[in-house]
Amino acid sequence: MKGFGIVLKYELKEYFTNKVFMGLTVALVVLGAAALFLPRFVDMSGFTGVQVAGGDKESGEKEVREGDRPLFLYVDEPGVVQPEVLQEMFPEVDWKEAGDADALRASVEAQDAEAGFVVTGPTQYEYYVFNKAMTDHNTSVFEQAMKLFYRMQYSRTKGWDLGEITAMYDVPITVTEQILNKDSGSNYWYCYVLVIIVFMLIVYYGQMIAVSVTSEKSNRAIEVLVTSTSPNSLLFGKVIAGAIGGVFQMGVILAAILLSYQVNRQQWGGMLDMFLHVPAEVLVSFAFFGLGGYLFYAFLFGAMGALVSKTEDISKSVSGLLVVVMGVYFFSLLQLMNIDGPVIRILSFLPISSYSTMFARVAMGSVAVWEIVVSFLILAASIAGTGILGAKLYRMGTLRYGNPIKIGAALKDLRKND
Amino acid sequence: MRMKLEVKGIRKSFGDKEVLHGIDFHVESGKALGLLGRNGAGKTTTIRILMDVFHANSGEILLDGKRFVPAKHRIGYLPEERGLYPKRTVIDQMIYLACLRGMNPKEAKESAKKWLSRLEVSEYETRKLETLSKGNQQKVQLAATLVSNPEIIILDEPFSGLDPVNSQILKDVVNELIADNRIVIFSSHQMSYVEEFCDEIAIINQGEVVLAGRLRDIKKEYGKNRLMLAAENLSLEELTDRTQRKWADLVSVSDRKKDFLILELKEGANRKGVMAALAASDVEVERFGSYEPSLNDIFVLKVGEEE
Repeated sequence: MKGFGIVLKYELKEYFTNKVFMGLTVALVVLGAAALFLPRFVDMSGFTGVQVAGGDKESGEKEVREGDRPLFLYVDEPGVVQPEVLQEMFPEVDWKEAGDADALRASVEAQDAEAGFVVTGPTQYEYYVFNKAMTDHNTSVFEQAMKLFYRMQYSRTKGWDLGEITAMYDVPITVTEQILNKDSGSNYWYCYVLVIIVFMLIVYYGQMIAVSVTSEKSNRAIEVLVTSTSPNSLLFGKVIAGAIGGVFQMGVILAAILLSYQVNRQQWGGMLDMFLHVPAEVLVSFAFFGLGGYLFYAFLFGAMGALVSKTEDISKSVSGLLVVVMGVYFFSLLQLMNIDGPVIRILSFLPISSYSTMFARVAMGSVAVWEIVVSFLILAASIAGTGILGAKLYRMGTLRYGNPIKIGAALKDLRKND
Repeated sequence: MRMKLEVKGIRKSFGDKEVLHGIDFHVESGKALGLLGRNGAGKTTTIRILMDVFHANSGEILLDGKRFVPAKHRIGYLPEERGLYPKRTVIDQMIYLACLRGMNPKEAKESAKKWLSRLEVSEYETRKLETLSKGNQQKVQLAATLVSNPEIIILDEPFSGLDPVNSQILKDVVNELIADNRIVIFSSHQMSYVEEFCDEIAIINQGEVVLAGRLRDIKKEYGKNRLMLAAENLSLEELTDRTQRKWADLVSVSDRKKDFLILELKEGANRKGVMAALAASDVEVERFGSYEPSLNDIFVLKVGEEE
């Protein structure tokens, strides 16, 4: 194991002295934290609904009053429009009545007015706009206004009190939820995000490990290395170093984002809770199962790297493995909707998928402690198994140059040699 | 302490094809063994089995009579396929390799600096390997081979890529290693280097050792009853003609080199008789004496055509 320690140290040094690796980590930490600290320094109340601490509301309103507010025109042919209602429903615009439909159209066309509404009947109107933006919701708001005008007019003719009727229809109901176990609704999104993170971790760093193994074959350093220490030490050192490097990078970025959010949660009005307010037990199960799954696949990526001689052949070698990883990823995401179903129960015990499905069950479903323990033991045994198999494939593949070795042929050779 | 490394009856197959059919040779400390053979003869496979990279199907390797376990010994191996990390610094990877072979980091650093200095590449120790010339990369590779102060050194084509000045440095280093009682196994196609260093040779052809033993004895055996002859007043063609006509009962012409003939004594004839016959003739002798074949001659004779 001495060789393993030396390989691990050397490989780790390569990660932590690599300017691109460290630069990317720092850049993503700074970017993530800066984005989450933004509401402290910039008024994002329009987005978050929370006024920045020490912010001057009056000055904000003043700015709106003095600014160039867009001008909307209307023509009221049936005489149903209540300008004060329009102003209330469109608080950010100025309203003005146009002489007729042609004048309104000309103003919009000349872009003197941003939009115009020609009300042609109690339930009909025309909307004029020069360029309609994707986010243009004016018609739906105006429709609500028209409905209100209609109700007001109808109530007037019938002698009804519209205020009383509205209060009866929209009676407020108070609910107090008592969730006794898991709240799948609020847990769903961070589970979704964490599944994506493990998937990215496996695909990105797994391929980095495969490249690292193959490049030792392509630059022919492998013969010096395998005659200096055991192939097991080389593969385990390389894979564990890749795992530590990946977990460090992802962990630091994730920690920076989660901590920054915790510090600024009030400023965000808790609006990102569904992504970033992850309970501790979910984070712990994510750490165990996510890391376990990552190691499981990392050994396989390392072995796949040993089966090719050129880095450009890696994609051929790892394609089968990527199909499995992607299949598990999509299946896991689909099954989040049916978290206590039989399919996800089975997946949560398989080492190829427990890394995402078991912690999802912990977060959102009903899972017994024994299930978590058994699943983790299966995963741990599988990691040891893939480690040993990976080391054997690595040893067999290290000095076989030329065409990529197919995994089937490699396993057949291994059986023969055993 | 003297050591003896013995390779006995090594057989190796890849799939259904047997590539080594029972390789035998031995080498002792303080001596160098020349492992010779054509491309694909089985030298590298033999070395890889010795290094435990491949497992032999049968046969054994012994060190002082006990099973040889490479991991328990410091071995310096310079493979034919050179390779280190191109993007890492020279000193870092030398320390790394020395540590992998059992040194502690302090010893490893001292040894790395010592060998870089001995091979005259100290100035490049903090440079990335890929920035060095091919010759200097080769010297760094040699330094990496020797960095763990190995007791057994296996050099596969160590002179390839070196200019005459660097070759001389390496020759001196190899001679020092032999004088320092190390076991040196030297594989090369450059016979002059093998002749210079090796006391013993083993020629492998198509997976078999076709000739092995002390080089001096082999040369003596192959030079037995053979003479060399050159004349000042006759061309080699004329001398061949004269020999075949006048002294056919004493010698036959077995080969013609660039500037002398190789003659083979016939049964019952001796050097004295040939000398007397020459003295009685009008041949003005330029060179006459026992012929000692070069290793190249022996190799070609044993293995077949020239490389």
